[in-house]
Amino acid sequence: MTILALDGLVKRFGGLTATNQFSADVTEGESLGLIGPNGAGKTTIFSLIMGEHRLNEGAIRLKGEAIQDLPTHARIQRGVARTYQVPRPFAEMTVAENIRVGLTPDSIMAMIFGSSNAAEELALAEAVGFEAADLDRLPNELSMGDLRKLELARTLATGAKVVLLDEVFAGLTVGEIAQISELINEKRRSGMTFVIVSHDLRSLEPLIDRAVAMTAGSVIAEGAYADVIADKQVRDSYLGA
Amino acid sequence: MTSNLNLRHAIYWALFAGLLFAMPYLVSKGDLRTMIFALYVGIFAMSWDFLSGRTGYISFGHPFLIGIGAYATAILSYRFDVPVMFSIPLAVIITMVASTMFILPALRIKGSYFALVTLAFMELMYQLVQVIRPDLTGGTRGISGVETITRGAVNGFYLAAFLAFCVALFLWLLTRTRLGAAQSAIGMDEEALKGSGINATKLKLFTFVVSAAVAGLGGAFYVHYLGSIAPRAIFDINFVFTIIVAALLGGAGTITGPLFGAFFLTFLLEYLRPWLPGAERYLIYGGVALVLYMYQPKGMYAIAAKLRAGVMK
Ligand SMILES: Nc1ncnc2c1ncn2[C@@H]1O[C@H](COP(=O)(O)OP(=O)(O)O)[C@@H](O)[C@H]1O
Ligand SMILES: [Mg+2]
Repeated sequence: MTILALDGLVKRFGGLTATNQFSADVTEGESLGLIGPNGAGKTTIFSLIMGEHRLNEGAIRLKGEAIQDLPTHARIQRGVARTYQVPRPFAEMTVAENIRVGLTPDSIMAMIFGSSNAAEELALAEAVGFEAADLDRLPNELSMGDLRKLELARTLATGAKVVLLDEVFAGLTVGEIAQISELINEKRRSGMTFVIVSHDLRSLEPLIDRAVAMTAGSVIAEGAYADVIADKQVRDSYLGA
Repeated sequence: MTSNLNLRHAIYWALFAGLLFAMPYLVSKGDLRTMIFALYVGIFAMSWDFLSGRTGYISFGHPFLIGIGAYATAILSYRFDVPVMFSIPLAVIITMVASTMFILPALRIKGSYFALVTLAFMELMYQLVQVIRPDLTGGTRGISGVETITRGAVNGFYLAAFLAFCVALFLWLLTRTRLGAAQSAIGMDEEALKGSGINATKLKLFTFVVSAAVAGLGGAFYVHYLGSIAPRAIFDINFVFTIIVAALLGGAGTITGPLFGAFFLTFLLEYLRPWLPGAERYLIYGGVALVLYMYQPKGMYAIAAKLRAGVMK
């Protein structure tokens, strides 16, 4: 069953068309790799799905509901969330506090009268590979790997069932890549749906069921990873970049 | 809410209440009058801090809010003989509703533009009260002979102290919840807050309305303390600086800090009066703000926290 349907997405930045009639369907429970050279429009697709950029044309449906006119927070409440290519932690908040913001419900009353759940914060932190001692650390004390873990924890904290990961492996050590891969595979087994963008194709391959290749804002190939990567147009697009 | 409280804080608040209660026995009538002024400035600075201290949406037009509250109760009670016990709550509601209508479009703009827009609102208000229905507002000269609700410095002090204490405790409790964390998140990365599933616009609106209510409340009680109101005294850029510098001096985002900042600043200016009688006094604001910004952006609150940490060692 299609959980996220992207239908003819067009996004122009002034004269530049960042995505051009981009269409793809994401099936519930699958992990889809979105690949393409720098500037292909991958991050823009994520921003469109989340409503951080406004669509010029096209439609986005989540579980059958058109969400392209909803504000970002409403989309997240319907079950889709993203991580950022450049991690964006709340700089003056600790690891625990960052996760707490992800867990915070979108209700003023609940913010005021509810209380935070330390056990849940710890569980999320541990799920992405932090230890209890890391909870009080500030973002400026964290490695890139830790920042990506934090980003992931905060995203999972929103309760999203469809998770968009942008350049998950950029700037990570081999050990950190293994750790995050393990986490993603664990979440895949639990039924979570992923769309993953990565330049590191070797690390991406074992995490995805299927790949979509794009260049200059449009899909050029899709299917099994091996077939997509063997496609001549895909090869040319990477060489050209 | 209560889970964030602990005994240490309860003791601080009790000590603070005790100190306020004892104040009239400790200082002269003259100092007490200065303190009344400081308390009202403190209320305004806390209102400012609740809106701007964490979110980074800097209000440069806070007197706009204060003025709506002050004028509303002054007009209601002086022109229409509405009893003060009704005119003040009405003034608070009017401040919340009227200012929200103005601010709604401005909640989408960021940074220095927000500051400019709020400053423009204040200027607009300054012009409006003079030309629209001067029969009600008293035009350029304002209204005098507004009913005062306390007699003498001691009573005036207790009323102001009670208000300031309640406002401080209320706002402080609010900011210690997840609401306060979400407000801070606005200041750090509003996009990422939205990306955490939170409606930032609703949060900003709520924050603004609470800030407006406190400003309107302070303004309303202040006018019934002074017994008069005039546009130039309220919609004044120096008044804006007084509020902001008091908040920054005390420690932006800390709520209680700005109340103490207001005391410090008010007394500093008062004691400097013999040497600097005129408007040059306001140069002090610039100086104080600059030094603070360079050496201790979190203000007196941070200095106190450091001292406490030092003593505990
Ligand atoms: N906010 C923006 N304003 C203008 N151009 C943008 C903006 N965001 C992305 N672009 C442009 O859109 C194209 C696609 O960018 P992006 O989606 O970041 O690519 P990718 O993530 O695949 O590397 C690039 O040419 C980029 O310069
Ligand atoms: Mg990108």
